Formats: sequence, structure tokens, C-alpha cells
Amino acid sequence: MQTLTAVMGHMVGGLINLTGPGHYIHWGFIQISAANLVVIGLMVVVFAAAILIPFRRPGGRD
Amino acid sequence: MTTADETNGRRHGRRFNPDRDVAVWNGKYLPYDLVKEFLIALVVVTLLVVLLAVVFSSPDDHPVTVRSWSTAQPVDFAQTAITELDGSSAVANYGPPYNATNPGATQSIGPFSPERWFGVHHPIDTANDYVIAPLQTLPDRAALDASINAYTSASSSQQANWTTAYEKAVANATFAQGGLKVPSGAYGPVAPMISALTSMARSGALDGALLSSRQFYGTDYTKPLLFIADGTYLANLGQAQHLQGSQWGMMNETGNYPGQAWLWLYTLWYQVAPMKTSSNADLQVWAIMMLLTLILALVPFIPGLRSIPRWSRIYRLIWRQHYRDIS
Repeated sequence: MQTLTAVMGHMVGGLINLTGPGHYIHWGFIQISAANLVVIGLMVVVFAAAILIPFRRPGGRD
Repeated sequence: MTTADETNGRRHGRRFNPDRDVAVWNGKYLPYDLVKEFLIALVVVTLLVVLLAVVFSSPDDHPVTVRSWSTAQPVDFAQTAITELDGSSAVANYGPPYNATNPGATQSIGPFSPERWFGVHHPIDTANDYVIAPLQTLPDRAALDASINAYTSASSSQQANWTTAYEKAVANATFAQGGLKVPSGAYGPVAPMISALTSMARSGALDGALLSSRQFYGTDYTKPLLFIADGTYLANLGQAQHLQGSQWGMMNETGNYPGQAWLWLYTLWYQVAPMKTSSNADLQVWAIMMLLTLILALVPFIPGLRSIPRWSRIYRLIWRQHYRDIS
């Protein structure tokens, strides 16, 4: 039971701990956190995918 | 499939404009299940939210309270408290909406100054609200009550002499054996008042006394937050977490969590001149963003700007199969 509680507590607390000192990228006057940069990168990937992935055609063909 | 005669523009006797008019579609129509797509998107997003919440959790920093501040840095608390009592703190000189002590402090662009127009609608008298009134709530403190009476009944010049002397001395104060140790001087009743306020803050009683609402679930934390913001403790914590305005803090979250990346444009303006050093920066940035929002809303009516999607031809990339088929 204690093990289960510990496992659940660990899961609720997050498998990957993102607390602690943040990482930041400085470029001139621009300053951005690594986490924000990753999220923006993922958004760009999703945007590119939305444009480039072909629509499904009637009958299942691309 | 489409002719100029069949365009809405021609029907209204105007020359067809591809940025304004819509060509009538005479081609084939295909069914599309929007509800199905919505449900698939909902399920995918829900699963993603649950998965990411399990893997990464969310930021859970301890809240900064007057208690935690005065416990961690009692000298900084006492230094701030004396500025609240003598009216030299940032909040005491903020102007509207908290007080009218410094009308010149209001932000404006020419005659445009909403801060001044709305006036003082959340009044804060720092000496009374942050020091005197909370101390008066402490029960059975005859000596303290006498100090408060001595201070409030003294002339303003006498009060200024006491607070000025204490303000200089408290910079060299230390905290030991559960009490504030300030070098001796002619502070009158100010020293026991600030000492009592520091003890009250460390006990947590000041947090409750500063809440505007006496309801169980009080939500108006304006007074304690402004008091805490007058000290250096919160600013240093914010600086360490890259949350200051000069650090693009509006975009950031504590630790390594992603923050509000969509606020990049708003916070960008605070990093460049003249907003970077302007005392009217908030109003200037707001005005720029309102102007840009207006331009965005009016894109369909702005010649040139509304043609960019047609010129960029990204739509031909999205519908490339269709254009390949008809070519």
C-alpha cells in the first residue's frame, strides 16, 4: 500500500521534475526560456505539418 | 467553373476585386463531418492534457506572504514598514488608484490618462492601513497602545523626526533571539511599534489583518501584495526566476516550465526604447497593442495588407492537390 501511495505521489508530482533553476537563452536584448523555445518550436512544427500533410481524399486516397 | 459574370462584385455593378469579392463556386461539393472532427480533436487534446499533466505536473511554488517575507528577511520587512509609516514607500507615492498624494505620478500620453480619470477607487493610507490599524488589533498590549497614541497624537514634524532617525538606524538592524535589534536612538514610540509589527508579521497575524474582506474565502490580496512588493524580498525572488519586466518576465514561468509564450509581443515593447525607460511605459505599451489589435481586426479592409495571403500563395500550398488537378 505504501509503495502504491509512493508511486501515485510520484506520478501526481510529475514524472519529470521541471522545478529548479530555469534555463534561458540570451541573444542581444532578446531573452527567452528554453521551455518557451521548445513550445514555440513545437507550434512551428504543428503549423508546418498542418500545411504540408495532404488532405485525405474521398475513397481513402491522398 | 467560375466566370466574372457570376461574381458577387459584378452583380453589384463593381469591378471584381479578389481581395473583396467572392467567386461563386459551381464545382462539386463534398460532405464533411465537422462534429466528427471536433470530437476527434477533443479526445486527442484531452489525452494530451492528462498525459502531459502526469509527466510534467505543474509549478507549485510556495506563496510569498507577509509571514514568509518577515520570517526570511525581518530586517527588510522592518525597513519597508518604516517607509509605510512615514509615507515614503512606493505605494504611498503611487497616486491613483491607491492615493492622491502624488498626482504627477499618473501615467499619461498627452491628455490621455485613464489612471487620473478613474481617480482613487482603492484607497490605501499606508501609515494607517499597514502599521497603525493592524497594531491596534493586537489584544492586551497596553504599552503598545500607549506608543501608538504617542505617535498619532504627536505633531507631524515630531513624527518625521522619529521616523527619519529610525529609518537610518534600521538599515543597520539585525535580527537575533526572536527580536529586531536596532541601534539605540531617539525614535520615540516608533521603535516599539515597528518591533511589534515585525513580531505580528512573523506570527502570520498581519496577513489576516491586511485582507480587505473578512469573509472566510477572502480574495482581495491587494494590500498585502502591495506591502510585500514595497520590500526587496519579492523583487529578488522574481529576479532569480526571470519574472521581472526587464527580463521578458511576462512570458516566463517559474523553474523550467513553459510560460505564456503568446505574450511575447506585449513584453517585447518593454525591452525597447522609449518604453524601456519611460515612466509611462504601461500606457504606451497598452496603446501600441490596442493599435495593433485594431489593425488586425481591420485587415479585411486595409488595401495591401489584405492582399498578403493572395500574394504569398500559401493557400496554393495547402490546396496543392486541387490546383494540380485543375491545371
